[in-house]
Amino acid sequence: MIKAHQINYKHKEFRILDGVDVSLEYGEFLAIVGPNGAGKSSLLSVLADEVKSGNNKVLFKDKPIREWNIRELSKHKAKFSQHNSNDIPLEVKDVIMMGRYPYFDAQPGKEDLEAMNNMMYETDIFHLKEREYNTLSGGEKQRVHLSRVMAQLENNITHKLVFLDEPLNNLDIKHQYKALEIIKNFTKKANSAIVVLHDLNLAAQFADKILLMKSGQVSAYGTPQEVFTEENISNAYNFPCTICGHPITNNPMIIFG
Amino acid sequence: MKAQSKLYFYLIISAVLLVIIAVLSLNTGVYDFGENSPFRALWQFIKGDPHLSLSDKYVIWDVRAARIIMAILVGSMLSVSGTSLQGLFKNPLATGDLIGLTSGATLLAAIAIVLGGHFKEYLPEAVQFSLVGIAAFIGSFLSMMLVYRISTSGGKTNVVMMLLTGVAITAIGFSITGFLIYISKDEQLRDLTFWNLGSLAAATWTKNIILAIVTIIAYIILLPKGKALNAMMLGEKDAQHLGINVERLKKQIIIIVALMVGSCVAFSGTIGFVGLIVPYILRLLFKSNYAFILPLSAMCGSILLLTADTFSRSIVAPSELPIGILTALMGGPIFIAILVKFKKSL
Repeated sequence: MIKAHQINYKHKEFRILDGVDVSLEYGEFLAIVGPNGAGKSSLLSVLADEVKSGNNKVLFKDKPIREWNIRELSKHKAKFSQHNSNDIPLEVKDVIMMGRYPYFDAQPGKEDLEAMNNMMYETDIFHLKEREYNTLSGGEKQRVHLSRVMAQLENNITHKLVFLDEPLNNLDIKHQYKALEIIKNFTKKANSAIVVLHDLNLAAQFADKILLMKSGQVSAYGTPQEVFTEENISNAYNFPCTICGHPITNNPMIIFG
Repeated sequence: MKAQSKLYFYLIISAVLLVIIAVLSLNTGVYDFGENSPFRALWQFIKGDPHLSLSDKYVIWDVRAARIIMAILVGSMLSVSGTSLQGLFKNPLATGDLIGLTSGATLLAAIAIVLGGHFKEYLPEAVQFSLVGIAAFIGSFLSMMLVYRISTSGGKTNVVMMLLTGVAITAIGFSITGFLIYISKDEQLRDLTFWNLGSLAAATWTKNIILAIVTIIAYIILLPKGKALNAMMLGEKDAQHLGINVERLKKQIIIIVALMVGSCVAFSGTIGFVGLIVPYILRLLFKSNYAFILPLSAMCGSILLLTADTFSRSIVAPSELPIGILTALMGGPIFIAILVKFKKSL
């Protein structure tokens, strides 16, 4: 799906990313975790080709991501950003419809309206359809952007990729689970997702692979069982923890303190 | 689908309104057609009727019709340039006159008038127009680059920097234009005063044809950009993820807006605030949905300027009021209204 070898990224002599390798298969849910300032968001930006400087080579579907046609690429991958604009003087449905911009020229077709409505139902914002975006709460705005990003990938192309940078910010517990379920269902259809998460227990429950980062480097990579050991986590976060099995799923469960 | 038919509905309504105002405007004026009526004179002219008197023909075709068409073209372009700039800078205060494009264009146009005067008489009429026109285009383009470089970094616009750069460019333009007025001869002085106040009185069909060509080129490129400008509200990176070539979009807007502002200034001087008033009113109706306000501002700009021009030449007839006075009278309060609203949102 996506491959990158030895990613380096510097900002004013400060090494933010230092020799990071990433490789993701079709149908995988990869969670990037790590303490603040570990370079999680920067890694996501480099993979999504947002950083124009440097000569990091990212292969998307075996083709350098920069050689893709920009409009074609937008049907294969989408990105949910950490800092979404607070000031968009439009109605909620207009904001979500932006996700369908790659698919129509002047007026949205039937499938565009369907994709928009479906995603609004799934993220539980259909009732906010006609509201002005600027009047929404932080969590509601977050859900609007999640619908927009997921509506962008509603098409017949196989093997799509979504990048999500802390999609659970400001969400209440129910919507955190809902959001992760939407992403999980997306990856079940042979699509892939790379998600920056802060909650290790949610990552352990939903992700197929975990990439644990510390100061710009990969400190552990593998399945949740492999990565989430007391040693790995305490090292990365400088904070003690205990691991036990989740009583239902038997995935690792991390208890801090 | 519904949204699209709503857009066509408003476009048709505004087109009808524009035609009505054009007809009224054709009928307004000091000249007495006597037995004849303005409409019959126009009809006779179109048919090529030999009975049409020369003065009737001159007034109806070369004065009134030419001026109406120019008001339509200039109003439309000024308002579309304002709307596009507001999309580019993501701010309702960005317009050609507030960020200094008009001043930059006026400044270079003034230089071309005063210094170009030395060799101007050897040039044919079309080139004379182009000389001032090209100078105005370069002036607005350079100002645009300056404002953009100073006020945006990392895809974010600093509104205060944007407006202050405009103030600085206007100040420079004002002082140099003042100096040029001081050293210029009588003939040039009249031209310069006209440029500073802005007027449609100098409309001719040659100018209209040039303006029409600029309008067509600009609109073919700009008017389908509504969706892209909407996406820009998400931020440049997110717009890119939606399949929009942001760098190309910005270049296109910068060049086309400079071209539009430059040609408007070259032919009609500095007519302020049109690019502020029209998008402001449209935003009240359609929020900031550029898919609506971009095509509609092309129509409503014409309506606004044609109405203002008709008033400006009929209120104090047989003399006429500089049109800039009327547009500033409307634009000033709207400027304040936007500032007040802006203060609350900060």
